[in-house]
Amino acid sequence: MAGAWIIADNREQTLELLTIGRELATTMGTKLTALLWQDQELADDYISHGADEILLLPPLPEDQPPGAYIPVIADEAQKKDPDIILMASTVRGKEMAARIATRLNTGLCSNCIALNLGEDGKTVEMERLVFGGTAVQKVTCTVRPAMATIPLKTFEPAVKQEGRQGDIRELPAPAPSPVKILERKPRETEAKDISESRIVVCVGRGIEKEEDLALARKLAHALGGEIGCTRPISEENHWLPEELCIGISGISVKPDLYIGLGISGQVQHVTGIRDAKVICAVNTDENAPIFAAADYGIVGNLYDVVPKLIEAFKT
Amino acid sequence: MPNIVVCFKWVIDEAYIRRGSSGELDFSSVSYKISDYDRNAIEEAVRLRNESGGRVAAVTVGSPEATKGLKDALSRGPDQAYFINDASFENIEPSQTSAILADVIGSKIEYDLIICGEGSSDLYTQQVGPRLAERLGIPCISFVLKLTIDGNHIIAERKVEDGVEVTAAPMPVLVTVLPDINTPRIPGVKDTLMASKKEVVNIAKDDLAQTYEPTLQTTAMTAASMERRCVKFGAEPGDIAGFVEALEKEGVLR
Repeated sequence: MAGAWIIADNREQTLELLTIGRELATTMGTKLTALLWQDQELADDYISHGADEILLLPPLPEDQPPGAYIPVIADEAQKKDPDIILMASTVRGKEMAARIATRLNTGLCSNCIALNLGEDGKTVEMERLVFGGTAVQKVTCTVRPAMATIPLKTFEPAVKQEGRQGDIRELPAPAPSPVKILERKPRETEAKDISESRIVVCVGRGIEKEEDLALARKLAHALGGEIGCTRPISEENHWLPEELCIGISGISVKPDLYIGLGISGQVQHVTGIRDAKVICAVNTDENAPIFAAADYGIVGNLYDVVPKLIEAFKT
Repeated sequence: MPNIVVCFKWVIDEAYIRRGSSGELDFSSVSYKISDYDRNAIEEAVRLRNESGGRVAAVTVGSPEATKGLKDALSRGPDQAYFINDASFENIEPSQTSAILADVIGSKIEYDLIICGEGSSDLYTQQVGPRLAERLGIPCISFVLKLTIDGNHIIAERKVEDGVEVTAAPMPVLVTVLPDINTPRIPGVKDTLMASKKEVVNIAKDDLAQTYEPTLQTTAMTAASMERRCVKFGAEPGDIAGFVEALEKEGVLR
């Protein structure tokens, strides 16, 4: 038996995994299976986006976490022996993946950012960032199945194809998990999603007071962009919501233009901007690491430089 | 009174890793530290003990050189430490680390609550906590930002993408904690002196029930490349004009 499996919490993540899953399944000449437990209506939708087979898990009671499915998923994987299992690198997905991998006694590449089939057509070579983004680690699983969790937006969503056929199979209901959900509190702040913004002005510790964020906002406005921040600004100062925190533990951005204001350039932050087309930085310290990671830097005080930039960009 | 086990890792401080001329990683001037989020895990274990009583055992797996880490960990408040060490444990992967921890914790340590950091600051696989829970066959609550003991249950608030989930599980249970959960203490001189008087249980490879083979193999480790132009300007009017002109040429302004 063989196959490629994908497992994700929702449709958006599933479609992204279908893209890479389809590519792998086709190259390996095997079947692509998608698991589904949320909206059961999506089975046909996933098939039309590239899945050959859907494994349907029955809906859970309100107080049960998706972790309850782990024994059922692991049992099925033991029976079907897939070549690879890809899961969405979300909070729930990461925990589930580690626990499924343990049950299957296999290796797991967490937060996998690139994935290729080796020359033998079987070994899956995977890449991930380590040491806060300082280094790239390449790994392979030495046992079947290979497993990886994949961050959101690593792959484009799969495109719908008309006339695709697939099978739908139902898996048994799981036993209740000892972990119960007592309450779900929805996210309070609905900050703007800047992960797709074309221009991002980012603030760091060089900003002295919360009021001074206005200066960064003005610059962003003059450029038609959005503002983001480094971890200390959202986590320690609470000046901006954490949805705007850019870095390895926050969001990744890939704008055409990134301008960092008063940012030292710790690798944990720089990792979140590595896909930006042009990186600019303003910092008083000419030895700040951000300048090594920037295309264009201005060595100067942001309180002096930013008003000049706003003026220049206006004209 | 709960028996609390906290796991920690003694890691390379990534701030000291240099990039060699041909893209290789230069570890020649590195120093070590307790993994960042494991400090939160230790702090939380000690906070809960101070509140509910019981004991805190700190456990680590590593090479025999990691002794400094034990003193550091104990100076943060745990009552004793278990040091599972062997020269071959230097570069093990998460399935091995969790299996070794499960082997020792399952056979030698009493536990009602196990606390791990959400991920280590070196490899950040975020796997050891959940894998350890699965190995021990106990419930797991990951990415926790608030933790309370309520009778024989743990109530934990976990941060998920769409908000916060308040969850409960009967002890024994394993939780992994986020840095948001507390502010780790900075140990003082007195704490360090106290630490050297605390018990450290040494556990060797031979004391384990079996050996654990890797399931994940590292085939390469290279410096992440950031090829950038690195052009610097000053803050004089001519510089600002040059900077803006460069951006115009790049075609990134509207």
